This record gives sequence, C-alpha cells and structure tokens, in this order.
Amino acid sequence: MEAAYIVDAVRTPVGKAPRGVFSATRPDDLLVHVLRGLLARNAALDPGAVGDVICGCAMPEAEQGLNVARIALLLAGLPETVPGVTVNRFCASGLEAVAIASDRVRSGQADIAIAAGVESMSLVPMGGNRPAYNLRIFEDDQVGIAYGMGITAEIVAERFAVDREAQDAFALESHRRALAARERGEFDAEILPVEVVHRVPDPAQAVCVERRRAISHDEGPRADTSLEALARLRPVFAAKGTVTAGNSSQRSDGAAAVLVASERGLRRFGLQPRARFLGYTVVGVAPEVMGIGPIEAIPRVLERTGLKLEQMDWIELNEAFAAQSLAVIAKLGLPRERVNPLGGAIALGHPLGATGAIRTATLVHGLQRHGRRYGMVTMCVGTGMGAAGVFEAVG
Amino acid sequence: MSAEPILALDPRRAIGHAAVLGAGVMGAQIAALLAAVGITVDLFELPGEGAERSAPARRAIEALGETKPPALAEPSCARRIRPANYEDDLDRLREAPLVIEAVVERESVKRDLYARIAPVLAETAILATNTSGIPLHRLAEGMDTARAARFCGLHFFNPPRYMHLLELVPQERVDPAVLDFLEGFATTVLGKGVIRARDTVGFVGNRVGVFAVLSVMHNAERFGLAPDLVDQLTGPGVGRPKSATFRTLDLVGLDVFAHVVETFARCAADDPWHGTYRLPAWVEALVHRGALGQKTGAGVYRKRERVIEVVDMATLEYRPAEARPDPQVAEILRIQDPAAKFQALIHSEHPQARFLAATLADLYHFCAWHLGEIADSAREVDLAMRWGYGWRAGPFESWQAAGWPQVAGYITGRVERGEALAAVALPDWARDPRRRGVHGPQGSWSARLGRDLPRPDHPVYRRQLVPERLLGEPPVPKPTLLQQPGIHLWDLGDRVAVLEFTSYMHSIGSEVIQGVFEALELAERDCRALILWQEEPPFSVGANLMEFLAALEEDGIEAVAPMVERFQRASLRLKHSPLPVVAAVQGMALGGGCEFLLHCDARVAALESYVGLVEAGVGLIPAGGGCKEVALRCEAESHGGDVFPRVRHWFELLGMARTSGSALEARRWGFLRAHEPVVPHARELLYVAKAHALALYEAGYRPPERREDIRVAGATGIANLRAHLANLLRGGFISEHDHEIGVRLATVLCGGEVDPGTRVDEDWILALERRHFLALAQTDKTQARIQHTLTTGKPLRN
Repeated sequence: MEAAYIVDAVRTPVGKAPRGVFSATRPDDLLVHVLRGLLARNAALDPGAVGDVICGCAMPEAEQGLNVARIALLLAGLPETVPGVTVNRFCASGLEAVAIASDRVRSGQADIAIAAGVESMSLVPMGGNRPAYNLRIFEDDQVGIAYGMGITAEIVAERFAVDREAQDAFALESHRRALAARERGEFDAEILPVEVVHRVPDPAQAVCVERRRAISHDEGPRADTSLEALARLRPVFAAKGTVTAGNSSQRSDGAAAVLVASERGLRRFGLQPRARFLGYTVVGVAPEVMGIGPIEAIPRVLERTGLKLEQMDWIELNEAFAAQSLAVIAKLGLPRERVNPLGGAIALGHPLGATGAIRTATLVHGLQRHGRRYGMVTMCVGTGMGAAGVFEAVG
Repeated sequence: MSAEPILALDPRRAIGHAAVLGAGVMGAQIAALLAAVGITVDLFELPGEGAERSAPARRAIEALGETKPPALAEPSCARRIRPANYEDDLDRLREAPLVIEAVVERESVKRDLYARIAPVLAETAILATNTSGIPLHRLAEGMDTARAARFCGLHFFNPPRYMHLLELVPQERVDPAVLDFLEGFATTVLGKGVIRARDTVGFVGNRVGVFAVLSVMHNAERFGLAPDLVDQLTGPGVGRPKSATFRTLDLVGLDVFAHVVETFARCAADDPWHGTYRLPAWVEALVHRGALGQKTGAGVYRKRERVIEVVDMATLEYRPAEARPDPQVAEILRIQDPAAKFQALIHSEHPQARFLAATLADLYHFCAWHLGEIADSAREVDLAMRWGYGWRAGPFESWQAAGWPQVAGYITGRVERGEALAAVALPDWARDPRRRGVHGPQGSWSARLGRDLPRPDHPVYRRQLVPERLLGEPPVPKPTLLQQPGIHLWDLGDRVAVLEFTSYMHSIGSEVIQGVFEALELAERDCRALILWQEEPPFSVGANLMEFLAALEEDGIEAVAPMVERFQRASLRLKHSPLPVVAAVQGMALGGGCEFLLHCDARVAALESYVGLVEAGVGLIPAGGGCKEVALRCEAESHGGDVFPRVRHWFELLGMARTSGSALEARRWGFLRAHEPVVPHARELLYVAKAHALALYEAGYRPPERREDIRVAGATGIANLRAHLANLLRGGFISEHDHEIGVRLATVLCGGEVDPGTRVDEDWILALERRHFLALAQTDKTQARIQHTLTTGKPLRN
C-alpha cells in the first residue's frame, strides 16, 4: 500500500450559528472559498490532476445539498473533469472525507485528492429542514435513534458519573485554551480569512447594495465567561440534568479543505508534505450513548496502526459535550494536557460535517509547528458511532 | 350625506397614532394598551446618559414583555411603540392627535412640560393627563383658551390593560365636544368603562376606594381585629376581590397609598371625614421601616419559605397568617339575600360582624354625603367601584339591595350615638322614608341635580346591545325563543337569534348539548343567523367534567361513548347548519367551549379572550370535533405544502394545553382566523357579531361541505412528534402519562398511521378522536386528573 500525505489543510474561521458572522453566507460559498485558497497556496499543483473532491456534510440538503462537493468545485474554478462526492457520517463527515481521500491515494487510484468538510448550521438546522422519522424506530424499540444529542450527553453523564461542576470547568478550560491559542497565533497558518458579503436593500437608491466585512478569527471563544456564569445556565435537555448550552459544543458555520497526495503526486508537482495519514477506524455504539464512541474507536485505530496511546503527542477530541469528552478522557486515561491543547468545540464551535476536516487542519499544522510526531482526530457521532484517524508529522 | 367629515366622527380613524409622555409603569402600560388596539405610539422619557438618547424609553418598552400579568396583549404589539426623548424628539408630537401625559405626580413638573410642548402640539391635538390627584383646573392654569379647550383628565387604573375603569375628568374651560369624543374613543377603541368624574380630589374611584380602605383600617383598630382576619372578612364575602383590603394594599404599595391619603388630608380640609385621612400608627410604622408591600418583599404580609406571614399590629413582628372568621360570622357571610345578610350583621353581637356592619355603614354614609360633590349620579360611583376596584357591586347598589330605608335608619342611629366616623347627618334625600334606592327605571339618583339622571346617551353606547346593568336597573329585554335547562335562546332583532348557556361557568353538559340541537332546529325555522354568546364571561370552560366523570364511574365506558359522539354531533350541527353561526367570545373559551368556537362559521372575540384546547391538562384529548377542526386548519394553513409544520404547531398548543393570553394571540395561533374581528370592549361583542352574522347571511351563506379529502401527515408525522415526545420523556420534562396522551394526540392530529399525504374524510378523524379519547378516559391517571381538577380547579401532573 502506498503512503498518503497531507500536503496542506486550510479552513475558514468558524462562525456562530444561527446568528453569527456567516448567518447569511452560503455553505457552498464557504466551500468554494477554501478550495480556491487551498489551490492558490499550492500553485504548483495542476488542478486538473485532482482525482476527486470528497466533501463531508452532516445535513446535505438545501444550500448544502445536491452534491455540494461537485457544485463547489465547479464554482471554485476546478476543471469540469474533476469529480466530486459528498459523504455523510454526521459529525465525522469531514474526517471521513480525509480518510476516503487518503485511501483513494493509498490504494493507488489517485495521486492527488482533496478532502473537505462544510456545514452551515445557520441555514440548515441540525436534523434538517424537514425531519421525517420512521415510525418503526418506536415499534422496534430503537428510540435511541430519535434522541437528540443533548439527551445522549445526559445519559453519558449519568452512566459515567460526570457532574455539572466538572463539565463547567472543562468548558471554561476550552475557552481559556482557545483564547490563549488565538493570542499566540496558533490558528494563523490554517485559517483563510473570509470576506463576508451581505446584500441588503437600499430603498433610497432602489438597488441592492453590498456590505463587506472581513472575518479572520473564530467567533466562538468567549473571554467573558466564568465558572459562575456557566453555573447559572439551566440544563436544556433534561429537567434535572447537567448539560447546558455552556458545556455543550456551539452550533457553527464553517468549511475546510485538505490536500492529499501520493509520493508520486508529491514528486510530480514538487509538493512538500506536512503529515502522513496512518489510519482511520469507525465503530458503532448504542445510539443513546453516542458520546462514548471514541472509547471504542481510539483503541481500535491504535491497534490497527500499531501505535500506543502514550505515543500520541496531540489528540483532537471533538468536544460535542463536556460530559462525553470527560467520560472518554476518564475511561481511556487520556492525558488531559495533550487533549485539545488549543481548545475544542465548546469554545471553537462545531460545524458538524466540517469539524473533522477543520480539526485535521489544526492537528497537522500544530504537530509541525510544535515539532511533535503523532496525532489523532477523534469524535463521537450521532446515532452511535465513534471515529478516529491517526496522523504522523513529516519533514 | 352629513357635512361633517367621517374622520371627525370616527374615533378609530381619528386616532391612529398617539404620544404618551412618561415611560413609568403607567405611561408604558398605557402605551401597551394603545398598541394592542392598533395605535402607534411615541413613548417619551427623559434622555439617557449614553449615545442612545432614548434608551430609557426603549428599556421601558422592553420591560413590558416581562410584566405579570402581561401588559402587552401580544408581544408583537411592542413594535408599535417607538421610544422617544423630550430633547431630541419633541417634533414628533406634531403628528399626534392625542397626547397622554403620565409623568411624575408633581404639579410643577407637569405644568413645565405642558409649556414646553405647547409650541409643537397640533392645534387640534387633545392633551390628556393621567393624574390621579392634582386638580385639573390647577394644571390648566397658564394654558391659552384654545389649548385649555382640548385639555382634560384621562385617569387609568393600574394595571391599565386589566382595570376596566377610565375616569374622564373635565376642567372648567374644556370643550364638551372633546369630552364626548374621548368618551367614544376610550369606550369603543380602548375598550374601557368610561365614567365622567368631576374635578374633585381623588375623582370618584379613589375618593371612594381609598375611604373604603381607611374605613376598614379605622374600624379594625376599633374592634381590635388583625389584618389577616380583616382580609378574610372584607373579601368575596362582601363582594370584593380575594385580595380584600390589606393584600390589595401590599400590591399597590403602602407608600403610594400613604401619599394619596396625604393628598386627601391636604386638599379636603373641610371634609367631615377629614379626621380619618390618616394612617393607623402601625401602617405608618411599616412605611417608615420601608416595608412597602410586594415590591419590597414585605408589607402587611410577607412570604417566608412558602408560609404567608402577617404583621402584628402591636409588636410589628410577623407571624403566620392563618386567621379565619368566626363560624357564626362566616355563616352570615354565606347568606345570599343581601337584606337578610345586612340585618344579620347589624343584629349580631359578634365583634367581627359589628366591624363589618360599621365598615359598610361608614362607607355608605360617606358615599351619600359626598355624592353631590364628586359625581353626576350614583351610577358613576357604583361603576367606578366595580370597574376600578373589582367589587361585585358598588356601595349604592349594595345599600339598595340591603334595603334602603333600613340601612339609612341604621346609619342615622350610628351618627346619633356618635359611633360613625363622621358626625354629619345623612343628606335629606337619603333619609327620605319613601326612598327605595338610587337606581331604577328612570335612571340613577343625582344628588347635585336632585333628580334621577338617565343612562348616558352617548352614541357609543348604542353599540352595547346588552349593557352592564346596575342592581336595581331593569334588565334589557331578551325576547325568549326557547328556554329550557342549560340554554336560553332569544331574539336579538332583525331575525338574529342569540344562544346563551345558563350552566355554571357555561360548561357544556347533556342539557346544553340537547339545548344546542333544539335551539338550532328552532332558529333554522325562524331566523337568519345564530350567535353563540354569553352575557358574562367565560364563553365556556368546556365540557361538564363532573357529569362526565359521574357517568364514567357509575355506568362505565359504554355510557360515556354515546356522550362523546353526541358532543361531536352537536359541533357538526353548529358547523353544517344552514344558518350562519357566529361565536362571540369573551374570557375563557376552553376545551369543549373552544371546540364549539372552532365549529362556528365565524368568530368575533373580545380582546380579553383566553382560548385553548386544554384537554391534555385533564388527561384527555379534544373529542368534540376539535382535533378534526385542527386537522382541517393544518391543511388550510399549509397552503398546499407540507402539512407537518402546522401539525407540529398545533400539537404543541394542544399537548401543552396552552391558553392564549388574548384574542390577538388566539388569532396568531390560529384559533381565530386571520381577519376575524377582535373587539376591545366586550359589551360591543354582540353588536359586531350581529353585523358579522347578517353580512354572512346577506352574502348568500351556504354551510361548509363535509370534507372527504383532508391531507394529513400520517405515519411520518406521528413518528416526528413521537421523536419529540421521546426526548421530553427521557429528559424528565413529561410523565409517562403525558407521553401516552401525547402519542394519542399525535396519532389523531396526523390522521392515524396512514401513508404521509393520504387524504382522509372528517368521519375518519372523528372516529380517531373518539377511540383515543375513550382509551385515555379509561385510565386511572386520567380519572385522577379529572377528579383533581374538579376538586381544586388546578391541573394534576401524574
């Protein structure tokens, strides 16, 4: 099997949903932006050589429907000969895209592939615009399929005895780390600033005018939060619960793109890789405790890649909820300082299907910048799955 | 055609916009009232410190969304109120045909403000003050003749949305046409009960109302009765609100009350009751201590860990409030006949009874002596106390009912014995042995004119086909078409019939249902249209649960199944009758009452209407055709698109047993259709409903056809709603039984577990209603809920 290299990875800043900086920005436009940016940063690459554009999206409908990968690549100016596919594994969609692109390369079917992820939770709400459950999930006692993510977090908190204080403290730490990281410029290499264009009516001129605004930072991290403020929030998903808006991931908008190449691809276009993709695993768990997915996925991916947990210098564990993050950390004994050193989704946001690609960008740039070797991106997935991908810095 | 332009005659069109000066509690809530009836308002306050100059007014508007009870009839009404400040925005006053001033109660502040706005006010603009205490003629000093001609008092009661009373106060130079205009405006547009007051201290309502409290206070002291006992005695037992005397005072604020009493003491120096215009020492001590009532957390009462405590008059310490009237006195208070009740009170030796007799006698004495000074007739006094203080009857009415000469004799005796709070004799007219009362067929007694004064003949009252009636006034004739247990069908004229329910709270039991069938049969033969209307609210609290539960317990489900079907048939009968049927709604229209309303051809609702299909609260689902009507509405509201979003909306309303906070909200939710009229004054309902019904008739009314092609959400809709319920259940927000009710409600509203988009007929949904209703009715938990609600009036969560 050939090696798959991560040549580059870029992302938009992450905006808050549904009333944040990208509230009116189309997700396909965000995707176009990162595809163009990725190609511009790697100008030696002939875009016509891209074997496939594989984009993750968790709610692939409406503004991000109709195979958004293909639409965006055409709008981004890639040649029409380049194909595109949208993949959905809910919150792991972006990581799934990276894995598929890497596997395409590893199996020799392509020398160059682009993995991506996109999600506008402002424009397409979680659950989609028109949910339509199957009545059989109640007849067959598969009610876990119907549970909202918040309820699953409450169940995990109960089963793993994660209390409110620990969740709030974890949330506060996420904000603290994210703000400190931004201060240090840790995200500068991965973020492509976005110029947001709002088209609003100008009644005086009877024309539509454009208002432009440059966005270059993640909108989620809050400097004004505190344990007291977090403690004041009411639980939203259970009457006597512990999961609040403050210790859950934020609803967000964003996109990312990752350039994957074989050795031949690197040589042909003179590209410098940042990391090597080592492996990826997805495992199913009970839907009502979907948050524990990484507990199953992490040991499995380590076994497959022949690595040990101690060798992981950097773990990007998606903070869907503080409750499930803490359960995963405790159960597997993850070293807290290496988990989300730059903060996680509670502060940075979680644009569902984009997150896997976004955090891949954070990881590969971070490993390289800090001179670390092995790293992992992992997350829990709705309806009960865990996903984990392992990367190794090179060069 | 009349030469006068319609704009000048029609208060609705004359006032489309207004300004309110002062964004305090009263100013802001007056603005909310205006906004609720569709008037745009500029709300003025002093400018703020920051960059946003009108921030104080804006904050007052925002605060309207949080008041309890809500000041806004509908949250969206707030959009009609625009914040303004006196420095930057005075120019906007040019646009306002009506300016209501509600700034702080200081003469100089008000007069300065008037001088300041005078140059920008339109010449035709009416300036009205909401002052409760400053004499109007003093406020009008310095105004030129033209301005003074368009200046008067408009005294709202707190909270303005809910207190019906509005005192219209003249001053010497006001143009009578302005008062006439405002009376019409405030009545039909604002929906208020207007009385004409005179420019005397406290006007009518507060002059009598404040004295009523003082008389209770001083007599309580004399008889040594504790405040909690006094409240037990001076509440519903004597026709006054449950908050009685001291709890009302805590709500008003002891400081506010003290201020009013002080004003009385200052302005009414030659009043024979001047000596009573002071607070008892213990109340004064509370004010001094800052225990001002609800707003400071303690007053005459306070709440400590769910225990209501009352202050001890001697020690000023709090103790649990648990006083109960003596059984012997309680017995007297239960006497229905007012004359017998009064006699029992004055002949009892019990201090509690003697206290009540003394309090009432002092009040009657006071009212009789002051009548000529403060009001045109006894009518204004009685209506003021009904509308402004929530009394079931005003002082003159209750005196008349208790036997005029007997009460007059008792008062005279007390004056002679030196027991009365003032040592003046009753006026001659009151002592006239031939007098039987002050209200009669000829009108109400005017002490000032020395004759009976007929009801006001302002044209606006022609819209009140059945006006509010004082005790002693003859009733409006209601020519009976059919009268039998449960209903009264009468002829409103022009061949329009009115159907009233005579049951308790207008609940719907077998007699009412039978009456509906028979009334329709008769009306269909002889009338053009039918109006479902009740003279007093509620419209209907729903099905007669007591009868239902009794049948269920005695004869089982086989006995109630036909009852349910019969209810459905009554609803269908209303809907498919060849007559146009209009529901004229005020107050609560709940459960089965709401189902009837939904089946009518049109609805006309008083602004204060509280509408909901609340069956889930007693463990049931609507089964009088309510779910069928909701399914029809879901389809209509989806305009050919996906019905599920509307199903979800209705499911939330029904599942959570929500009741609208106003007719506007009921209309937004869909209980009323988009263009159905909302009437500010409940007494105008019948007038509007009649016009509406006749318009339907004249336009060639045909009853709606039974639908056989209702598009429903089916299995997918049920699954979506069940997903929602599963989360609520797992999250502990609902009980297992709530969940079962929810699943059954979802099943009916979605038209059963059919393929999405299936078209079903009305009978199918009616059958689903019955099946799921009866299934729930047989559960212990539903029966426990019904029993609990019947016993306590509150819902049981089980």
